[in-house]
Amino acid sequence: MAALMLMMLVSASTARPQASAPIGAASRAGLIASMQSDKSTRLKAYEPDRAEAIIHKMEKIFLLDPSGFYPYFSSVYPGGGLTGGAGYRRFFGDKTNWYVQGLYSVANYKLLEGGVQSKDHLNRRLSFGTRLGWRDATQVPYYGLGISTNPDDRTNFRFQQTTAEGNTTYKPIPWIVMKGGLGYEHWALKPGAGTHPSIETVHTPATAPGLGVSPTYIHSHASAGIDWRRSPGYARRGGLYQVTLDDYNSVTTGSSGFQKLTGEVVQHVPLMRETWVLAARGKVETLLNDNDLVPYFMLPSLGGGHNLRGYANDRFRDRHSMLMNAEFRWTPAIGLDMAVFYDAGKVASRRNDLSFQGLKSDVGIGARFHGLAATPLRLDFAVGNEGWRMVLSGGPPF
Amino acid sequence: MKVGEWFCPEGLRSNRELVGTKENKATTMSTLSQQPKRSRMIREFLLPALAFLSLPLLAGPGQKFYPDDPIATEPETQNATGAAPWKIDLFYDLMLNQFAHPGESARPRAMNVNTIDEVPDSSWFTNRILSRRVSLEEAVRGPLTSDGPVPGKWTVIRAKNEGAAPGFTIRDSAGVTWFIAFDPKSNPEGATGAAVVAMRIFWALGYFQAEYHISRLRREQLEIDPEAKFIPASGRQRSMTLHDIEPVLERGARDSDGSYRVLASRLLPGKILGGFKYYGTRPDDPNDVVPHEHRRELRALHVFGAWTNLVDIKAQNTMDTLITENGKSRVRHYLLDVGSTFGIGANGPHDYTEGYEYLFEGDKTLKRAASFGFYLQPWQTISYQEHPAIGRFEGTRFEPDAWKSRVPAAALLRSLDDDNFWAARRVAAFSDELIRAIVKAGKYSDPAAEKLLADVLIARRNKISQTYLTRINPVVAPVVHASGELTFANAAVDAGVASPPASYSVTWSALDNATGATKVIGETKSGSNRVPTPAGLTAAGSFVVADIRVGDAKYPSWSKPVRATFRRTSSGWGLVALEREIDAPGAPPK
Repeated sequence: MAALMLMMLVSASTARPQASAPIGAASRAGLIASMQSDKSTRLKAYEPDRAEAIIHKMEKIFLLDPSGFYPYFSSVYPGGGLTGGAGYRRFFGDKTNWYVQGLYSVANYKLLEGGVQSKDHLNRRLSFGTRLGWRDATQVPYYGLGISTNPDDRTNFRFQQTTAEGNTTYKPIPWIVMKGGLGYEHWALKPGAGTHPSIETVHTPATAPGLGVSPTYIHSHASAGIDWRRSPGYARRGGLYQVTLDDYNSVTTGSSGFQKLTGEVVQHVPLMRETWVLAARGKVETLLNDNDLVPYFMLPSLGGGHNLRGYANDRFRDRHSMLMNAEFRWTPAIGLDMAVFYDAGKVASRRNDLSFQGLKSDVGIGARFHGLAATPLRLDFAVGNEGWRMVLSGGPPF
Repeated sequence: MKVGEWFCPEGLRSNRELVGTKENKATTMSTLSQQPKRSRMIREFLLPALAFLSLPLLAGPGQKFYPDDPIATEPETQNATGAAPWKIDLFYDLMLNQFAHPGESARPRAMNVNTIDEVPDSSWFTNRILSRRVSLEEAVRGPLTSDGPVPGKWTVIRAKNEGAAPGFTIRDSAGVTWFIAFDPKSNPEGATGAAVVAMRIFWALGYFQAEYHISRLRREQLEIDPEAKFIPASGRQRSMTLHDIEPVLERGARDSDGSYRVLASRLLPGKILGGFKYYGTRPDDPNDVVPHEHRRELRALHVFGAWTNLVDIKAQNTMDTLITENGKSRVRHYLLDVGSTFGIGANGPHDYTEGYEYLFEGDKTLKRAASFGFYLQPWQTISYQEHPAIGRFEGTRFEPDAWKSRVPAAALLRSLDDDNFWAARRVAAFSDELIRAIVKAGKYSDPAAEKLLADVLIARRNKISQTYLTRINPVVAPVVHASGELTFANAAVDAGVASPPASYSVTWSALDNATGATKVIGETKSGSNRVPTPAGLTAAGSFVVADIRVGDAKYPSWSKPVRATFRRTSSGWGLVALEREIDAPGAPPK
């Protein structure tokens, strides 16, 4: 589309000028001289045409000056639908900036946040930042606990999350990544919007743990990993082996805290000069203590564009989850990858039930528009035993 | 198009310099839209075409050839003082060339050749190899005017804000300004070696080149100019510190003794104006009257690029400077950053696709998408003898016709068989010995790297000779001797890519230069490249035309004549024109 627009702009501003042929010179050199003399009467400074001027202006806004307004494309929470927003950033010092940004989606999901980011200290080994944010997700699905829930049993809930946190990333060597953070999180739960029943009209605390509670946590997290992908946003070789521990310490009366352990392995195997790439991911999320009360909205979940793509967002929830993705990718053109994929996973109330029996699975095909280090647009079509789903997303599936 | 069309009236062409201007828009919107369709068509297409085709006959008082034909130097008569710096947007230029196919839609013969089908010396090009003997010493010296940055303290005066290669600008202890670039860690000697070898090749071919040297740098040599500025990630310019160049040094390949092998390129003389485009003309240079897509030396980059795998052909890798000599200013055009050649670039080996595909090709995209990637191309299966200093460069499966730059370039897309023939002769003029001498200047520490690069260049040279010297009638350098013989050379035979043909036949005609009319005066034949002149030659008048055909069953296209026109002078017959007949070209490939 960009190319088409460019062509239209260029062709619209192109036309042939009219001039007389300089003829009658007595020598070849004289003929050429007369041409040059003729042109010397029509000299003008170079003026970028309309297309070039527009592109130059866009580059200045979005690339050359890191301070100022910028468009912001991200997600408030999965299921919010088409989302867009804007932000404002201002640098102070060489590597530090403060920012405010917001998002709004067609499903009335909202995000407002601001903070400070400081990157690439200690010879690009250390980055850190703080963030203060608020988001509102109005119709998040809940189908009940377990892998055997019925897709027709969808209910909705709404949450408003307020967050204040600090985080840091340290790379002692380029392929070892250590992350940590500490924050305050308040979750305000409300009746769900949308066409589906609100959660409290169908479920009880027995079927939706923590129903009716709006907890507050001190959330700390730490992770360590080996990551030798070119970029998390786009990679054709390399891998990620990472473990993350999340600790939610409740400061709400009558609510306990909990710990969650997440292990993730990603591997990209290029074949024949990256003509094809075999990509695979395995991921397990597990709550460490079986007795901890974990609210339904914070349980590990599966379903959606980044895990089980043939199923609705958060289609399955329980205390433990496992997920496997495999993709066969090929490259029709620079900047465009395609893939056929297979996803499988399950959730379970007991860790021992995380087996290869009773997996929910899907297959699909997709196209990804990417740069060297990012995947701005991904379009996947997946089919599971609950029908077709289309995923339109930014970022790679894994 | 025939000989003598050295020039097309610049004003009758699609002048890019007028794109988007108020005058041009006014013409487009009001004049053209209000004219009847027929008159608009006449004005837009027929008049320029008629003027173009009749120019050789109309120029001067009806004569076909001027007294000063063939010219050896392109006149640059106007003062270009008003030429001002411009900046060509990299993304725009890339998108435009990739998708919008700029330049004239026509694909005429090159317009800056003289009547003997050669490119005169100009601010674009200087005839060197083939036109005269280039010694090994001269080729190895190339454009160098010094021995590189003077050792001692190097003062960093500017960070490098553009381009992929890490680097910065320094002033050496003699006060000379140099741009410093490094090899990537993964490929020591790769980028630096490629740049100095390619510089010598392109200089010998005739292009203006920046002066590149391989130098040694130690960290402790560097100091920062108090006036030097730096733009960090914040985008807010501030004074530079030594700490600011640490990331550059960190990215560069470092030798075991702690020093860096760097590429030092000297600041070009004159006022820097910015790059030139491969189409249109500079709007502020009065001497730039031939659309760049019709300049032979730019079209020839299709062949020279294929030979050296110069994939990164774009406006950003060129530079115009304003040179003032004897009180007169003119714009000089440089081919810069020729280091993205052979198998390597500033950041490592070329991608496998480079040299084989443009950044985007719609048909291949669809086929690959539909075939799950099993629509395979040569670059996916070619085996390389990869060396870290050379990258991916091979000559066994190399096909000159199939070679592509990274992004289409208007001039290259319009190269015709005669342009390619002209270029291939220059490539063929590089002897094995000359190639090895030039490659040696790359100062590769591993003799295997030096041998690999030279071997591949020789193999690719031979493929180019085989492809382009045999495609059209290869007769060159015809001379009429007083002894009554016409002699000439066969470029394909001389390059060793064809056997001597069975016969040559020459049709002789007298030419009336005032009218262009010819009258056959005889035909002679020979089994060698020495053909007798006809008996009536002495009475033929001032001009005589020899249509030279080659009889070789293997190359039917050689039967199309090379037309040599000779003018009688006090010392005998002198060559005034050489025309090669080629198949009518189609539209430029997309």
